[in-house]
Amino acid sequence: MTQTITAVQPRAFVKVLEEQCKACELCVVSCPSGNLKLSSRLNRAGFHPAEFTYHGTKGDCTGCAICYWVCPDFAISEIQVKA
Amino acid sequence: MSQLALKVKLGKIKSLTDNPTHYCAGCEHGTLTRLIGSTMDELGIREKTVMIDSVGCSVLAYNYINCDHIVAAHGRAPAVAAGLKRVRPELMVFTVQGDGDAASIGLLELIYAAQRSTPITVFLVNNGIYGMTGGQMAPTTLAGQVTTTTPYGRDPALTGLELDVSKLLGEIEGAAYVKRASLVVTELESQRGKVYTIKNLLDAKKSVENAFKVQALGGFAFVEFLSTCSINWKMSVLEAKRFVQDHTIKKFPLGVYRDTFGVEKK
Amino acid sequence: MAKQRLYLKGNEALAYGALEAGLNAYFAYPITPSSEIPETLAKEFGNKRYPDYKFFLQAASELEAVNMVLGAAAGGARAMTATSSPGFSLKQEALSYAAAMELPFLVVDICRAGPGLGNLGPEQSDYFQGTKGGGHGDYKLIVLAPSSVQEMALCPRIGFDLAFKYRNPALILGDAFTGQLKEDVEFPELTPTNYDTSAWATTGAKNREPHIVNSLELDYQKQYEHISKIYEKYQQIEANESLFEEYLTEDAEAVVVAFGIVARIAKGVVNRLRQKKIKVGLFRPITLWPFPKNPLKKLASNGKRFLDVELNSGQMIQDVRLSVGSGAVVDFLGKWGGLVPTESEIESKLRRLEVVAV
Repeated sequence: MTQTITAVQPRAFVKVLEEQCKACELCVVSCPSGNLKLSSRLNRAGFHPAEFTYHGTKGDCTGCAICYWVCPDFAISEIQVKA
Repeated sequence: MSQLALKVKLGKIKSLTDNPTHYCAGCEHGTLTRLIGSTMDELGIREKTVMIDSVGCSVLAYNYINCDHIVAAHGRAPAVAAGLKRVRPELMVFTVQGDGDAASIGLLELIYAAQRSTPITVFLVNNGIYGMTGGQMAPTTLAGQVTTTTPYGRDPALTGLELDVSKLLGEIEGAAYVKRASLVVTELESQRGKVYTIKNLLDAKKSVENAFKVQALGGFAFVEFLSTCSINWKMSVLEAKRFVQDHTIKKFPLGVYRDTFGVEKK
Repeated sequence: MAKQRLYLKGNEALAYGALEAGLNAYFAYPITPSSEIPETLAKEFGNKRYPDYKFFLQAASELEAVNMVLGAAAGGARAMTATSSPGFSLKQEALSYAAAMELPFLVVDICRAGPGLGNLGPEQSDYFQGTKGGGHGDYKLIVLAPSSVQEMALCPRIGFDLAFKYRNPALILGDAFTGQLKEDVEFPELTPTNYDTSAWATTGAKNREPHIVNSLELDYQKQYEHISKIYEKYQQIEANESLFEEYLTEDAEAVVVAFGIVARIAKGVVNRLRQKKIKVGLFRPITLWPFPKNPLKKLASNGKRFLDVELNSGQMIQDVRLSVGSGAVVDFLGKWGGLVPTESEIESKLRRLEVVAV
């Protein structure tokens, strides 16, 4: 995917499998930097899946992987960090 | 502007399939499935693990965990696990059972598996209700709690008080590891406002690992996981988490009820 | 194993027969009159004559025992448990599951008087439960009915062979009399059959797709297809595996139809009447399922009359009537409560049958 890089470079990335998400919002409320929110899109199951925003409400993603562990489904499928 | 090179820190769990789960949104069954899958990856035991699925919300786990499965009758999983383990001791055999399966109809099979130090692992998902069948009372339903068979609130005078399985099994000398953990995220007040911590969840993950390690050491391992059932409790996902934090955990304190091999200290 | 000859109770002979057939694991629950089976197997644990015999455990309930057998069988082992009628009721759930999961193992029911707690005397009142299915759903057990201590010794081998060949649980339906009777038994030189379970047993998914041993199928079409395959299997078993004994039936005018201990008594009656030049014979089903309907039908087509004798109020007689057709004469003598018919009772019924000609 292409993304305009702004002044702050993202140090980590969360891959969300939208079709697996059930919009439970656990990742949304657990993320310490507010990097996840429910999107306005609908997946096949009728949920608004979570989506990763590079610049969260409280800071950037640090790759802490709290969302990965808190997701009860297979939606938060990958955490990428600085190589 | 150059893109920062990123590598995968956590990715696909090999011991899990790609099938979307049928669990309700926010259900800890899904959380436990992921913890089990990632532990199987980390310990490298997928190819010698057999899961005994039980009757309840965990019954379809054979679609999600990528190993051999036997789907047992209601309550019988520890017996099926014991039968298999005794003829194939090289396998890692575990069950995932709900509170009805393990603490009601299957209580005998569970107690005797512990009593005999059968080297299997039992995971109990305690959400205080019969989920799959639509929200009836379970042995671990809290006194006063409304369910479809206790529509006026659970009356302890008639139905008794909540059954504390970890305490019960902790008394059995034959058990090697009895732990109560929580899969539920906890809400904390902090300077930054309300935050959710996964401290209990990470401890639960360690408990899953310990429970497999104890089986490898030849002991009976049991972990009870406090969980929610937002649909049948008739609450939102986050309200249900709060309920565990405010009520359930007070009736069912977390902790180590038996640790013969001292795995918790390691 | 080298051959040996022993003087044993039926139950003991069955236990030794299971060991000779290569029993791997036994899960026990005591109940009279079957307890000699687990007691013998407990005693023989560690006997080097039986290198395949790896595990014995007394379970905490009938349910626990049979579900342990199920787990062991899912792992590909030769597993068995024995019980008597009230315990057999408890095991029905597991048998229904096992038939749908296509698991091979042996259950023994040493039938006693019922219903309920009844008493310890012999009955054959679990015939329906064993052959029509005592558990829920539409399935069959392969049912063997031994009628001597020698046959009690041979049935486990036949049972395991059929169970593993067709991947279905098998039942050895004995009775309290045959279980407690003491006779000479010969164990021939035998090696246990090697069963290939690699296509389905849960032995760990190494270098292969996972094996899911399961009876749940939420998709109705898939369930229809899965169970249809099992019914095709049952048709094969019916076509190929029924066992029976015909004794002096060829020129007989009246034929006693009986199984288990009743057949032994009936044989005595047949022999006595033959000495008096009365032409009677005995038809003895050995597999109660598959029921040997074709040979019975053949006897009926030759104009013979039948006396069905059972230790119940009339269970196998339904299969006899279905086999012989509406034209044949089928009379019935039943005894229950633990009582067993005397030879003279059978004889007088037989004589009346001769008088009552169509």
